[in-house]
This record gives sequence, structure tokens and C-alpha cells, in this order.
Amino acid sequence: MRLFGIETEYGITRDDLDEVDPVVESMEVVRAHLTASFERRWDYAGEDPHEDVRGFRVSGLAQDQEEDEFAKVDAHRPFSFHEMKSDLVLPNGARFYNDHTHPEYSTPECRSLKDLLAHDRAGERIIQRAADRRNKRLGGPHVQLYKNNTDFHGHSYGCHDNYLVSRSIPFPQLVAGLLPFLVSRQVIAGAGKVGIEAQESGCVPGAYQLSQRADFMETELSVDTMHNRPILNTRDEPHADRNKYRRLHLIIGDANMCEYATALKVGTTQLVLDLIERGAAPILELEQPVSAIKQVSRDPDLKATVRQKNGRTLSGLEIQEQYYLAAQRTLAGTDAESDWVLREWGETLRLLTQERSQLVGKLDWVTKLWLLETFVREERIGWDDPWLASLDLEYHNVSAERGLYLGLEAEGKAWRMTSEADVEQALSTGPQDTRGGLRGLCVRRFPDQIKSMQWERIQFSGGLIPKTLEMDDLFNPEDVKICVEIFEAAASPADAVATWKQRKDSPS
Amino acid sequence: MNDMTMPERRKGPIDPMPKSPGPSEEGGGPKRPETGSPDKDNLLKRMRKVDPKQAEKYRQRTGE
Repeated sequence: MRLFGIETEYGITRDDLDEVDPVVESMEVVRAHLTASFERRWDYAGEDPHEDVRGFRVSGLAQDQEEDEFAKVDAHRPFSFHEMKSDLVLPNGARFYNDHTHPEYSTPECRSLKDLLAHDRAGERIIQRAADRRNKRLGGPHVQLYKNNTDFHGHSYGCHDNYLVSRSIPFPQLVAGLLPFLVSRQVIAGAGKVGIEAQESGCVPGAYQLSQRADFMETELSVDTMHNRPILNTRDEPHADRNKYRRLHLIIGDANMCEYATALKVGTTQLVLDLIERGAAPILELEQPVSAIKQVSRDPDLKATVRQKNGRTLSGLEIQEQYYLAAQRTLAGTDAESDWVLREWGETLRLLTQERSQLVGKLDWVTKLWLLETFVREERIGWDDPWLASLDLEYHNVSAERGLYLGLEAEGKAWRMTSEADVEQALSTGPQDTRGGLRGLCVRRFPDQIKSMQWERIQFSGGLIPKTLEMDDLFNPEDVKICVEIFEAAASPADAVATWKQRKDSPS
Repeated sequence: MNDMTMPERRKGPIDPMPKSPGPSEEGGGPKRPETGSPDKDNLLKRMRKVDPKQAEKYRQRTGE
């Protein structure tokens, strides 16, 4: 079982207005994607962020009060909740909508890193093209979008990586295996940040740290995601058969511009999940994981050590090395993708200590630091100059004309793992071996007959009996392939659902 | 359907990504960037165009 996806909330601004209404701007950008009028299709019935994986349901989240206050304001707007959300399911199986005042792109579910990278890049293109259309209507390039995680004033927004995990793995085992890994993952996957912040506080300039999100981690485990943010989110929303599966919903990660960093972030996390499932993860217990994540982030020299419960200390790099060695011992030769991740993980850890400049264009925090160091030298400014935070922000601009990372990439100084053909394909079709691809196929083939959609279900309209395609346990790629073939050939979704049901129920 | 006790393994796919070439290698995979310094005519020009007060003006609401 291997399935993952990335949700990215984009920062949004307009440079022609002093006051920006992020609700309206996010909604307008999402709607600019549409060539027809918006139709409400996303079904929120299956979403409940109050369910906790530890076996209880919380009565409220830390953000509920703030959300209620926003809801009161939103009630006076000239559009409904559903219009405000503008939830779209795209022909490639992705979801594109206005989430918490940020345009959000959720990739379709992927089984390979190559597909994931292509769909992550497709998300950048889709959202920028929507902004281009919006800007055309506004008469200038006023709307700018940022694939980052902070506004430098104490407000953070997320880039979540998600993994399908067997529910047979006890949650405490996941926690024990993942916490030290996640505290140190920023060494390879941090996006880099100028300054130090805290939730809803200003930014202290002068420092450079590995991670955009580390400053906003406040506790080890919590069901919350907007306040009191946890290293390990305990939301129990599997979007799958809850008797069999969990969805590991990681909110700790930074939004990466470097494809290589995205591949390592997700690839190494998947390997660690494989280690945990086999009972082979390193046994490390950090004394204070929340402090540790900030200590590791704030030392670009990678020398800061964090204390274990047994009194010994380790650097973030050493924690990563322990996980890498365990994965190498246990998982080498498992499959081609695991071997690729192992090879690159080991090489990256080596280069971080010996030849860091070789990681420019591969790891975001190294690349951004290299750009800023050059700028500081050229312009003869200090590290406390506010210009640097602006450059940090612009590194993440997804406009090809303005973004610093994309400029670097255009000059051939960043590593491309995808081809333009991969990204073009991901703009229009989902992965062929996951339910994400099937979802996209349904959107393309039967756009007028879809009544509602969730991640795990599509309900079709028409006829006396509602026809529903259940995908809560549709993860075997061979089953997906058969289902795709049925939906490609069927004259109607009702015929397809009936044929698929018959096929599923018949003894093989 | 999936076996819940054993992780499913893909059998014999092609190498999902080309090997990152080392300093002396060349191939069809990603090219090792030349990382002396950002190109002064293009990238530094782009960096200099950034409004020094841009981050100061940038405000977002808390997301997830």
C-alpha cells in the first residue's frame, strides 16, 4: 500500500490595494479557473476535523472561536458559504478551492514520486494561470501568489503531506517512530526563512533558519491545525475505509519550490512509515520535541544538538542519519523508487556536511541562503535589512516573471525532476493507478451527471436510484485499472457503476 | 484487494527517476547546476527589482 498527496495553501495579495479582502481574492482566483458558472459539487458531509485518532471526538478546536467570528462577517457577504468556498474538482482529479482565505490546491492521490512532483507542479501552473486570468480582468498584474508558509507577521498557512497508512499500526507506534524524524526532516525539506516569528507575533530580523513552519509548532500532538499547532496532527479523517486505514495528515512541512526537496520530503517519510510498519524504526526519544524543532531550524550550520530522554544529545543531521541507516538496512532493494530515495537521501546527508554548495537548486533552504548571501555581498547590506524578508517572500512567487526560484530554474540552476511533458499531462489527467485518476476521468467523461463528490466517493445524478461509486477501499492499482476501463467504455455512469459492482462481487 | 498485513510492493517498475549525475557525470537526468553565483545580469537584476518593503506590507490570515 503506497498512496500520498500534497495540499498547498497559497499566500495571496494584491499590490494595487491597501486593504485586501482575502476571502474575496481567494474566491475570485479560484473562480477565474472556471470557463463556465460555478456548480456546487463537493460534499462536506464526510469531513469532521473534530475526530481525534486517539479515540475521541473533541467538542471544539482552538480555531473555532476565530472561525465563528469570521463566519459572522461572511454571513453579511453577498454570496453563500458554498460560493465562497468555490470547491472545484478538476479533470486531473485534484481539488482546487478557497480554504481559510487561501487558494488551496490538493493534488490527486499518487502512488509514485514522479506523479506527485508532476501534480505539485501542475498545481503551481493551474493557480498561476487562474491569477493571470484574474489579472487580465483587473487590468494589470496585481494579484500575486506565494507557495510559502508565512507572512512574516506571525500568520502561517500550510503545505500538508498525506499518506495512507494501515490502521493496524497502533497510533502510539506511529508517534514514537515519527516524532524524531519529523523534528529533523527540515534538514532536507526546510524551505528556509529570514527572521524568527511566533504565532501572531512580529518577526525578529537578522536570523536565517531552515524551516518556515518550525516557529509555529507549539505542541507534540493535537487535533488542531490553526492554533496550538502540533508536530503530529491527530485528526482522524481517513477519507477511506476507517476500519482499515488512517490518513497520516502532516502539517509540519514547508511548501517546497525545489522538486528534489519535495521528492525527498515525501520519499523519506514513506520509507520511515515502512520502517515503522516493520517495527524497524530507530528508537529515539527526544526530551522536548517542540523546542528541538526550533533549535534545529535556527542553526543553518547544523551543529545544534537536542537532548534525548536518556540524556544523550544528537544533531538534526545525526537523527536523519540514524533513520537513513535503518532504512538502508531494512528497505534496500524493496523497489526502484525506494532505492532512488535511499541513494539520494544518503548522498544529501553527506553533501550537507561536506559540499553543501552542490545542493543549491535541490534543497530550498540551501538555495535561498545561497541567493541571499550573494545579495548581501553584492548590495553590502546587513542580515537585519528588511529587504531580505522581501526576497525570501519573492523566492516563493509562482509567477514565472517574478518568482526568484522560478527565475533560477529558468536559468538552469535548479534541478528538474519532471519534464514539461509530465507537467502538461498532469494538468489534464490524474495518475492512472489511483482513484485520483479515476475521479478525474469521471469529471471529464460525465461532468453533467455528477451530483456530489468527496475524496472517497462520487455520487451520480439521474435515474430513480442514486448511483454511487465507492472508492474508500479502491487502492489496489489493478482494481483501479479495471474500474478505469469500465468507466472509459460505459455509455453512462449508471452502467459503469453497475458493471463495476458486478465485477467486484463476482468471484475472481 | 490490499493485504493489510503486508505492504504492497510494486514489481519491477522502471527507475522512477534518473540518477542524479555526480560532478563528472553527464546523462539524460537532471543537470548539476553551476552554482558559482546567481547570474548578475538576470537573477540579481530580478532580486534588485523586489520592493524592499514587500514583506512588511504582506499580510495573510492564519491558515491550517
